Amino acid sequence: MSEYILCLGLFSIGLYCVLRKRNIIKIIIGLGIIEYAVNLFLILIAYRTHGRAPILDKAQDTLNIVDPLPQALVLTSIVIGLAVTALIVAIAIRIFEKYNTFDITKIRRLRG
Amino acid sequence: MPIKKMNREKESNNKGMTLIVKTITRLTVGLILLYGIYLVLHGHISPGGGFAGGVIIALSFIHLMLAFGKDFAFKKLSETKTHILESIGALLFLTIALLGLSGGYFFLNFLSRGEPFKLFSAGTIPLCNIAISIKVAAGLFAIFVALVLFKGLREE
Repeated sequence: MSEYILCLGLFSIGLYCVLRKRNIIKIIIGLGIIEYAVNLFLILIAYRTHGRAPILDKAQDTLNIVDPLPQALVLTSIVIGLAVTALIVAIAIRIFEKYNTFDITKIRRLRG
Repeated sequence: MPIKKMNREKESNNKGMTLIVKTITRLTVGLILLYGIYLVLHGHISPGGGFAGGVIIALSFIHLMLAFGKDFAFKKLSETKTHILESIGALLFLTIALLGLSGGYFFLNFLSRGEPFKLFSAGTIPLCNIAISIKVAAGLFAIFVALVLFKGLREE
């Protein structure tokens, strides 16, 4: 149970970073932390006590392996996260080009 | 101050980072590329595979660009070549999938599967891994190049 709570803590740190920070780069880092917290949570759900990595090998039997399905899901999620991060960074560069600042409170033309 | 000036002069006629970074890069970049290729080729029998190997191959080129500047990296892998390779990766994957139709259905593993746990086994899966790795490596390098050139556009 404690590992899920730690996972929630990591998620909260990311959420705080997104909601409270003003610098766009810090917001992007916060989004990354949220993403990894969710990935870690999905991997932790699949864990079995004393389970080992779900890799077939000649010398090993297939008893007591962890669930490989969430791992495949998380692999896809990491790829999508990479693309999303690249998109946000591109948008951030565009914003810097237009407003010459990374401070979101100074970007006023979208206000109202 | 004079040291900084000297460094700047050195950088202007010799682009990229300092001599230390360049020497280490020269030593490690080949190993990184080889490790990526190893991960791709052993993707069907051990952890790794097309995406992870492709990312590491792309990182070797990004490493080169960070250390030696973009002109040197473009000499090894130019921008048009990156786009061509990206398209080739996608088309190769689609071709492997469509070739399965010859035996009955999409993504059919029409090659012989061979013995388990051997390098030459598992039919079309290693070929799919290679196609994915080409696509991922070229795509990731293209993203990095796009962000780098973005910065150059602003300075003009």
